[in-house]
Amino acid sequence: MSKPAKKSQKPFATTGRSRKGEPLVWLTAGGLAIGVIMALGLLLLILVKGTASFWPKRIELFELQRGDQVEKMAGYITEIQTRKDPTGKEIDEVQIFRANKDLNGEAFLYVDAKDIVSRSTPKNILLIERLTYGPAIGYPVAITTKEGRIESNDQKFSSSLRSTLESNEEIRKQLLQIERKQIGRVSAAIEQSGYDEKAKRITPEQATTQRAELQKEFEKLKAKADALYAKMRETSLIYRVADDREKSLESGQLLAVFASNDHGFFGRLGETFRRAWHFLSEDPREANMEGGVFPAIFGTVVMTLAMSLFVTPFGVIAAIYLREYAKQGLLVRIVRVSVNNLAGVPSIVFGVFGLAFFVYVVGANIDQAFYSEKLPTPTFGTPGILWASLTLALLTLPVVIVATEEALSAVPRGVREAALACGASKWQTIQRVVLPASLPGILTGVILAMARGACEVAPLMLVGVVKLAPSLAIDGVAPFIHAERKFMHLGFHIYDLGFQSPDAEAAKPMVYATALLLILVVVILNLTAILIRNRLKKRFAVSSF
Amino acid sequence: MKSDKPFTPDPKRFEVSKATLWFDRMMGWGIRFGGIAVIVAVFGIFYFIGKEVMPLFHAGEVQKSTTVQSDTKPLVLGVDEWGELPFFYSGGSKVVFVDAKTNQRSELEIPGFADLKITAISYDVVKSRVSIGLEDGRVGSFLVNYQRAFENGEAKGVIPEIKTEPWFELKAGTGPVTKIAYGDSGDSRIIVAKREFEGTRTVEVLRLGMKGGLIGGKTLKLLSETDITSEIDGDITMIRASQDGQIILVANDKGEVAYLLAEGSGVSKRQTFTPFAGSPLAEMDFLFGGVSAILTAEDGTQQQWSLYRVTEDAERMFGMTKEFPNIGPEPKTFAKSQRNRTFITGAGRKLSIRHSTSGATRWEGELDIDPVALTLDAKGQSFWVASANGEAQKFAVDDHHPDAGMQAFFGKVWYEGGAGPIYQWQSTGGTDDFEAKLSLMPLIFGSLKGTTYALLFSVPVALLAAVFSAAFLPPAVKQIVKPTMEIMTSLPSVVLGFLAGLWLAPILEDRVPSVLMMVIFIPTTALIVGYFWCRTPLAFRNRFAGGFEWAIVIPFLALAAYTGWSLGPVIEKIFFVYTEPGTGKQIADFRLWWPQATGTSFQQRNSLVLGFIMGFAVIPVIFTISEDALSNVPKNLTAAASALGANRWQVLWSVMLPIASSGIFSALMIGFGRAVGETMVMVMATGNTPIMEWNLFSGMRTLAANIAVELPEAPVGSTHYRTLFLGAVVLFAMTFVMNTIAEVLRQRLREKNKLV
Repeated sequence: MSKPAKKSQKPFATTGRSRKGEPLVWLTAGGLAIGVIMALGLLLLILVKGTASFWPKRIELFELQRGDQVEKMAGYITEIQTRKDPTGKEIDEVQIFRANKDLNGEAFLYVDAKDIVSRSTPKNILLIERLTYGPAIGYPVAITTKEGRIESNDQKFSSSLRSTLESNEEIRKQLLQIERKQIGRVSAAIEQSGYDEKAKRITPEQATTQRAELQKEFEKLKAKADALYAKMRETSLIYRVADDREKSLESGQLLAVFASNDHGFFGRLGETFRRAWHFLSEDPREANMEGGVFPAIFGTVVMTLAMSLFVTPFGVIAAIYLREYAKQGLLVRIVRVSVNNLAGVPSIVFGVFGLAFFVYVVGANIDQAFYSEKLPTPTFGTPGILWASLTLALLTLPVVIVATEEALSAVPRGVREAALACGASKWQTIQRVVLPASLPGILTGVILAMARGACEVAPLMLVGVVKLAPSLAIDGVAPFIHAERKFMHLGFHIYDLGFQSPDAEAAKPMVYATALLLILVVVILNLTAILIRNRLKKRFAVSSF
Repeated sequence: MKSDKPFTPDPKRFEVSKATLWFDRMMGWGIRFGGIAVIVAVFGIFYFIGKEVMPLFHAGEVQKSTTVQSDTKPLVLGVDEWGELPFFYSGGSKVVFVDAKTNQRSELEIPGFADLKITAISYDVVKSRVSIGLEDGRVGSFLVNYQRAFENGEAKGVIPEIKTEPWFELKAGTGPVTKIAYGDSGDSRIIVAKREFEGTRTVEVLRLGMKGGLIGGKTLKLLSETDITSEIDGDITMIRASQDGQIILVANDKGEVAYLLAEGSGVSKRQTFTPFAGSPLAEMDFLFGGVSAILTAEDGTQQQWSLYRVTEDAERMFGMTKEFPNIGPEPKTFAKSQRNRTFITGAGRKLSIRHSTSGATRWEGELDIDPVALTLDAKGQSFWVASANGEAQKFAVDDHHPDAGMQAFFGKVWYEGGAGPIYQWQSTGGTDDFEAKLSLMPLIFGSLKGTTYALLFSVPVALLAAVFSAAFLPPAVKQIVKPTMEIMTSLPSVVLGFLAGLWLAPILEDRVPSVLMMVIFIPTTALIVGYFWCRTPLAFRNRFAGGFEWAIVIPFLALAAYTGWSLGPVIEKIFFVYTEPGTGKQIADFRLWWPQATGTSFQQRNSLVLGFIMGFAVIPVIFTISEDALSNVPKNLTAAASALGANRWQVLWSVMLPIASSGIFSALMIGFGRAVGETMVMVMATGNTPIMEWNLFSGMRTLAANIAVELPEAPVGSTHYRTLFLGAVVLFAMTFVMNTIAEVLRQRLREKNKLV
């Protein structure tokens, strides 16, 4: 079939004069090789580094030469660098993650490789995830409960630890329910009553009684939450770090424990999945350096969906107009060239426009008209998710217009003429014949627009993204959709963690994981677009004649 | 069965229902309207951004608003910050206020001024202080303070208040005080006064400070007195003290100006300069900030002199930095702004508002009275002039962006404190009297530098890859390889920026020689492999199908890369040896060697890292478009060339490349546009310092990054805000021009291919 055809080309059968230029062909081959390696290499790098950030490493016990003393330390090696000493000699320097920030001040330690006297992987050493100060590493000593103390060599120890963790999880869920939902609702109502009073919808007396009632309710919820907190304080875990200092950790602080050295490959794989799940489903903690990225995922998804809701109808209508209705002349050609050009306009320019127009003009006017009682605190006159998605809709509009136009023009003329000949009106032809035929093309355009929108960060920095948004844009408190709220975004999360976090070194695993997640989202979107495009091609191959 | 009757369809069958037609028309209009609206909206963006920028280029506007009568010859004219209640003081014990709205005249008594014989008066507009010298040699001052009055939460008028300060006696000399200047930085102050008696004159500097115990407020105390009579020649015509209470300028009748510095506990003369070749000065005053003075000669020539260091370790001295247009020989008036470097200068009835940073004249006009006093309110929204008979006129000033203009944005400007005119971007500073430096040139330069280094790496790679993919790659392989290259498009720029800044930059920092080796080794290896390949026996070569050279070459390239990487330190030891200046110790370290050898800096986040990482953003763009252009070269042409005996390189070189050249060119343009507008990589991987040097090992600050970093902080409607918009316009213009050229070229190419 195709094989003999290839053979017959005999491209290497070059001798004598026809060898001319052959090295240059190999140079171009080198160019392609570099390109392919770059693309795959970077993806691989992110994939490896991103996955590795969930993989529980073996915890090692190091003995370090410090002056004339030998110091014990538990942790794992995160990086080995070569550094030049003042004489220009290269020295291997090891970066060790030793956790226990509360005891040591720094979570990372840099030592010269030659100073490591011995390394071992002891059993029964725990990596303890805590609410504050990052993780801790230590040997378990005991659990103290109301009933008494259970030593770590006791058989009941592990079951008691497990039950503590489980009950913690349960209590935290309840607390979340109380603090986010119920207290959130009450404080929103208190705020609202203030605005009502200011706008003279209710009398000051009414407002005072209303607020007193709400305040009472608030106190009640607060007491309930405090009781739960107190319950979590009853139990604590006592552990011993490598240099034999003992430390007690209230179970309220305790999130999870894992003894990496006691588990085989599958145990550690399970832990990897658990960590990955927590990364996807939890809120960030400690200046975003710990915990998960759920609000960022949510923000990215909601913003992207809202953007596609705005961009699809407008882009499609503009394309139908340009292709089907407008008179094809110089003017339309100019418009088409300009729309193509817009796709190349830097995204930051759109961000500038979004800030100046949507936020400072449209938003400020909405505030004047509908939220005047809250002024001078702006509601819509400040960056928010609505403005961000509108800005990105403008940014991606050319993508949708161009794709739709291409899809429309790919519908064979015969099909249109057949429809018209059957007596269909122009709109009927478009609606029942042209649009269905070009739907995959339009869909491709929309998905490409979403892929572009999902990974844009620069304009968002101007129109609504923040490093930490405690409340989501859609939640259970009326009116449920809060289009004016600021939001978190995976891309901005990367920027913020990598460049503005207090401890860039400790944040690195989180950054790689977030980058992997963002790339996965974008690659999946792009692959979908490619798949649809390929199916589209086949369809037309059949329908063309 | 056959019917004889011919089939006549019901004519109604061909009638389209009204509803269909109506709906069709509605949809038609709806879509036309929607389509045009979307297109207009998209272009509205650029109208809107343009509208935000335009006010930067408007000249100042001045409108006469009211005239009031004070019946006082004003030696001092001052006004509150809202321009509502000017005061007139002519020496004596009363200050006259006239309300601008109601023309109502009122007087306030200055406590303790009843029997004083005032012989010298000066006014410091920044602190609203009238300083007084008396016949008996005492000096002192009073302040005119205003407070906003409110009624029902709305501003209603201003309430004036007069506060006197203690008197101090001059020790040196005898006779009345004839000249006085007051400099006040809050806690430390100076008074410079001249006394004259029967042809002998003395000049003395009093240094005052706020001192006080733990209980009770601080009081003004005399710290030291310095007699500077001997330091100054000739007859003194003017004395000025700067707002920081340190710099004193004294002009004499010979046209010389002495600069004295109050430092530590002493006062000493540092410099004497002659601004107008000996012709005497008519007017001299510090500008806001107190490091520049505007000097005006009798004939109207005007110059700005600023304190600056000629070389880095020299002492700060006054030097002329700008010359302004001649204002005219008539009697001079002068007023300075309290919020920027604007000043109003007048000669006779002619007035001119000027800005010292840009050197621009913002407005010029004629008055209908002869002014003797001139003042500008603190907000810079109005100025007042008063004539000798006590008539005063208020003029509303509408000049929001005095420091803007083509010269400020795109020209070299001599900023205060600088040793010469430069391009500089520094939009915000720590103090109120900071002079904004708004030249866009370093940012445009940064954008171009970043783009150049990005293209330097990505253009060769992308074009070579495109050529191989279009000309030599078998279709089945191409279906896999091309999307692989295009997957690079889906790498978010924020991820690239993060990798550049936190992963690649630290790795490459101490391996620069290795990188240089790799840059040399990799392409040479590809060429060498090709050279030897086509010299292997034909039988061997024929065993391989064509189009897999890219895969065969990978191991060789990997070897070359590894060799280059490991050879780096060896090369470093031979060529890049740094000699420590003090000890003469030799250290092989490129990072130290580069600044020593070239005099430019070496930064971790430099153009080398940036250029490589930007490759991920730019390569797929250039690759896709130029690959398309090459692939679309009509097959009959390449086939004809092959048939005539051209080998595959010759087909490519003499047929495909010339035909696709405009497409390739357009790919380069679009790649340029992509690189110029890239923001996140630039924010994260360039260090963001607005420097202007082509140094490969330093960073830059690009237009796009600058907007992303500064716009969220810029106050809406301020000059800074609008200047950032101007940056966006410049960025847009650059990409739009490039993209349009590319688009036109591409369309032309399409037609060319059609003809063939």
